[in-house]
Amino acid sequence: MTSVLSINSIKNWTVYKTVSDHAQKIEQKLFDTIPDSMLTKKKTLDNIDWIGKKITSPENRLILGVTALASQPFIDLNNKKVDKETRKVSVARTVAKILAGTLTGVLIRRGCIKWVDAMSKVAKEGEKLPKYKQFFTPTRLINEIKDADKFEQYKNVLGTVVALGVMLFTNFLIDAPLTKYLTNLFVDKANQHQKEGGK
Amino acid sequence: MGLSSAFETLKVSLFNRYSHDPGKILVHTGVLGWILSSLAQVSAVVFNNKISPDQKSFLIPQEIADATVNILSFFLVTSSFTALGKKLVSTGKLRTPHIDKFLRSHGLFEKSAQNPNVVGDFKFNIEKLPIYADENLKKDYKNFKNGVGVITGTVGSILSCNIITPILRNNIAAHQQKEILARKQQMTTPQLRAPKGISIQQYQNMAYRQHSGALKV
Repeated sequence: MTSVLSINSIKNWTVYKTVSDHAQKIEQKLFDTIPDSMLTKKKTLDNIDWIGKKITSPENRLILGVTALASQPFIDLNNKKVDKETRKVSVARTVAKILAGTLTGVLIRRGCIKWVDAMSKVAKEGEKLPKYKQFFTPTRLINEIKDADKFEQYKNVLGTVVALGVMLFTNFLIDAPLTKYLTNLFVDKANQHQKEGGK
Repeated sequence: MGLSSAFETLKVSLFNRYSHDPGKILVHTGVLGWILSSLAQVSAVVFNNKISPDQKSFLIPQEIADATVNILSFFLVTSSFTALGKKLVSTGKLRTPHIDKFLRSHGLFEKSAQNPNVVGDFKFNIEKLPIYADENLKKDYKNFKNGVGVITGTVGSILSCNIITPILRNNIAAHQQKEILARKQQMTTPQLRAPKGISIQQYQNMAYRQHSGALKV
């Protein structure tokens, strides 16, 4: 109570009010630099709607992986702070890490979401489902899960959380060895290419 | 609390927290993913018997620093972008024709004594208006806001993971590599030693007295 009162009294200070007013004005000015816009194209609006409902963590991971391949190797390639040999290994390791991480990340997330979906069933009237098919169903929220969009998002979240648990192991069992294998493969290829006279 | 009851509570909590906000899911699960993958990278060094304790003393802090950069950059940039996207929609700065029609029909574009905050103002929030109770507007608005949140969040995560983090990481790694090389160089270069029985300072003073007279400026 004392702390609430003291916070309220601070808010009444002239200094606080002046600083707060200025901060709000700056906030508004910055916000005003963003143009006001109304999206009118039906296709654009449908796409935004679709993205909100369908882009879940596996798709997000795939987008990150593809854009990573298009940017990170070039950043490493242009890192003039290290010598040429280090740069070569760094690019090979980056590409290998992205490929291994994206492949396992997308597949495990997708697989776990499917698994959660298969075990999050809701019994229709008069229907009796085996317990394991409702293992992930939040049975306490039987009314709320009637909203199909919300229930779908819930399954995506739970699937992603399960996938993160699975990836604790696959990071060691698949990612790390696959990254090492691919790095060596790419470095060997680069060396061979250099020997054959390529740049 | 039993295990099954705890699991049920977890499911309910996940549903209540995330089922209406896919943008938030991507940020939070992304951060969790980064933390777990960083833990794996750190443990890979900790439990690697082929790495000597001396090397570990450098590699473990390096991995932790790398992980901190990754997680902080991902969280700050991605959550800021997601929040900005949602703010654009909630203030009406970015809207659909349907939302626009609703706002215009309630005179929410013109400032008045009743409406000190109007569309486009930082403090304006569609969700706090009485018209938000209209289910027709609510559904359209929520779908649009979720979509924009996911798009801006994805752009933020691309920017942080694929541009900011690699540049920061390369700079940090290059700096650390330089430090190691300098340390190695220092170890291999024979250092000036004072003769037995006197300190290096005394030795330097004696050497100065001995030779300074011959200096020609």
